[in-house]
Amino acid sequence: MKYFVQVNGRERLVELVERLGKLTTTVDGVPVELSYESIDDRGQLLVLSGGWSYGVSVEGETSEIDITIAGHLYDVRIEDERERAANAAERAEARSGGLVKSVMPGVVIDILVAPGDHVEVGQPLLVLEAMKMQNEISSPVSGTVKEVHALQGQAVGAGAKLVSIDAGEADS
Amino acid sequence: MFKRILIANRGEIALRVIRTAREMGIECVTVFSDFDRQALHTRMGHVAVPLDGNLPAETYLVGEKVLAAAKATGAEAIHPGYGFLSENAGFARSVTEAGLAWIGPPPAAIEVMGDKIESRRAMLAAEVPLVPGMTDPCETPEAARAAAEEIGLPVALKAAAGGGGKGIRIVRDLGEVESAFRTASGEAQSAFGDGRLYVERYIDNPRHVEIQVLFDQHGNGIHLGERECSIQRRHQKLLEECPAVVLTDELRARMGEVALRASHAVGYQGVGTVEFLFSKDEFFFLEMNTRLQVEHPITELVTGIDLVREQLLAAAGEPLELSQSDVVMNGHSIEVRINAEDVPAGFLPATGTVQNLRLPGGPWVRVDSCMYDGLEVGLNYDPMLAKIIVWGPDRGTAIARMRRALEELNIGGVRTSATAALAVLAEKRFMDGDYDTHFLESLDLSSPLGNEEDLVAALAAVHRYHRSRQRAISVNGDDRAGWLHRSRESMSDHRRRAGRHGDAQ
Repeated sequence: MKYFVQVNGRERLVELVERLGKLTTTVDGVPVELSYESIDDRGQLLVLSGGWSYGVSVEGETSEIDITIAGHLYDVRIEDERERAANAAERAEARSGGLVKSVMPGVVIDILVAPGDHVEVGQPLLVLEAMKMQNEISSPVSGTVKEVHALQGQAVGAGAKLVSIDAGEADS
Repeated sequence: MFKRILIANRGEIALRVIRTAREMGIECVTVFSDFDRQALHTRMGHVAVPLDGNLPAETYLVGEKVLAAAKATGAEAIHPGYGFLSENAGFARSVTEAGLAWIGPPPAAIEVMGDKIESRRAMLAAEVPLVPGMTDPCETPEAARAAAEEIGLPVALKAAAGGGGKGIRIVRDLGEVESAFRTASGEAQSAFGDGRLYVERYIDNPRHVEIQVLFDQHGNGIHLGERECSIQRRHQKLLEECPAVVLTDELRARMGEVALRASHAVGYQGVGTVEFLFSKDEFFFLEMNTRLQVEHPITELVTGIDLVREQLLAAAGEPLELSQSDVVMNGHSIEVRINAEDVPAGFLPATGTVQNLRLPGGPWVRVDSCMYDGLEVGLNYDPMLAKIIVWGPDRGTAIARMRRALEELNIGGVRTSATAALAVLAEKRFMDGDYDTHFLESLDLSSPLGNEEDLVAALAAVHRYHRSRQRAISVNGDDRAGWLHRSRESMSDHRRRAGRHGDAQ
C-alpha cells in the first residue's frame, strides 16, 4: 500500500507491505523498523524504532493529523493513491490563480481592494480581526482582483474564501 | 479574615485564587458563563453561580451580574484575577459601595495608573523616570505625525486606554505614522471603546523588567524583586524569568525603590507590578499593572511568598508582616505561557478540543492549568490555557528543567505556544542571557524543530493502516458501514460522520 505523506511540508513516499501478518515499512525506499502499539484508542501510542522508545500522541482526521513526540509537533498530511489523484486536480486549479482564504476564524473589519484592482505580492487585501488583534491579510500573488467574497463586518470561519486574484493577466 | 470570597474570573487564574483561599480556610464562590459550565473553576469552587450568556461582554465583564452573585451568596470580598474587571475602577468602587471588600488597590489608584496620560503626570511629579513623549493623547493621524516629528523617531503609538499589547504600533518612518495610527486606533476603539493614542520615543534593544510590589492598607510597602519579561511577541509575553540576568543587587535596589515611590504616589494597596523599559543600565517607567500579574508565580518560587495570600491579607486590613529584609531571592525561576496558538502559522489563534493531555510533573515543576481532556478551546476568551513554572538553584538548571517539562507536556487537539518556548530555550543567545524584547520576533519559527520526520512519516502511514483495518473488522455494524461508505465518499463527508460519532459518546 502506498501513502504520500507530507511531514512539516516535505513529502515522502511511504510503502507498507503486509506479509504473513507482519508489516514492513519503507520511507522513500529506505526500510524503517517500527513497532506500533495503541495505548487507549484515542491516539496515545507506544512506538519502538531503532532501539529507541517514543511516547507519541496522534490527533486529527484521516488525512490531516498532528503527531507529537517529546513536545515537538509534526504537521502531517497523508494521502493514499486514490486521494492523491482526486487532490491533484484541485491543486492544479489552485496554482493557476490566487484564492485567498481565511486562515483563522475572525471578523472582516475592512476591505482594501475591489474587483478589477491591480495588486502586488504582499499588498494588504483586507483587515481581519481575531482574538482582538487586527491582522492585515496580504496578497500571495501579483495580479488582478477577480472577486471579493467577503463583506465588511462579516464573521468568517477558517478556510472561508476572501478574495480571488487572477495571477496571469497582470504580468502579461 | 474573610469566610467567603467571590472570584470574578475564569481559567487558570480562578483556580490559582481558589487554591490559596482553600488553604486559608476561605470558601470560594465562582461565576461561570454558559460556555464554562463544565470548566475546572466551576467545579473547583465551593459555590458556582451562572452568569447567563457566553461572550465576555455578557458575562465576566458585567459588573452588575458579578456583584449580584456576590450579594446572593454572601461573599464578603471580590477577587478579580487579571483581565476582565480587574482594572475597572468603576466596578471596584461599586464593590466597596456595596459594603464588600475589593481585593485590589483603591479605585483611585486604578484610575490614575490605568490612564497612560494621568499616570505619566503622576510619575513625573513623583520623579519616576519616563520615556520621552507627549502628555496628551492624539485624536487624529495628523496630530500623531506632528508629535512623532517633535519627539524624534522611532516612536511608539499606544492606546490611551490600552493594555495587553492591543492598539500599539512602532513606527520608524515618518511616512508610516498616519497609516499606523489608523490601524492602532481602530484596534483601540474596538478593544477599549477609546481610539485615542499617544506617541512616545521608542527605545531600541529594550528589555522588559518589572518590579513586584506589595502594600498593606496602612502605608507599609515592600518590593519583591523583579521579573524579566522580554520574551514577547507583539507585546504578548511568552516566557518570563526571575531574577533578570541584567540586574545587579544595586540596580535591583534602585529599581525597587523607584517602584515603591511610584506606588506610594497613587496610594497603592495590595499587590501590583511596576513595569520598566530597561536599556543599558537605564530604566524608564512603562506602566503599573494594578492587579495580580499572570507571571506572578516566578516571584513566588524565588521569594517563597504566596502573593494571593498577601493580597487576601492586605484586603482584609491586616498589617504587612514582611519587611524588605525578609525578601530574599533564592535560585532561579522560569515561566512559559501555554497559549492556544499555531506557531508555524505565525502564532495564529488555534482552536480545537484538548485530547491526550499529559501535564509535566516531578521536582520543582509547577503547573497552573485550566485544561482537561475534552476542553473545547474557542475564540471567545483569552488563548492562555496554562502556565508551566519551574525553579532551579541557578539559571542553567532552570532552563534544562523547563526544557524537560515542555518535552513531557503533551496537548493534543489544539496547537500551542509550547513549541515556540522550546525554540527559545534552545537558542544560544537566550542561554547567554543576551536578548531583548525583539528576540522572539527575530526567530524563524515557521518550521518546527523536531528531527524525527522520517519516523513520523512511517508512523503516520502505519497509524492510518491500523485505524482503517480496525474500522473494517469492527463488530460495530455502523462503524463498518461507515468505513465502507467513507471509502467511496469525499473527505468532507467523512469529517461530518467522524464528528457525529464523537458526539454520540
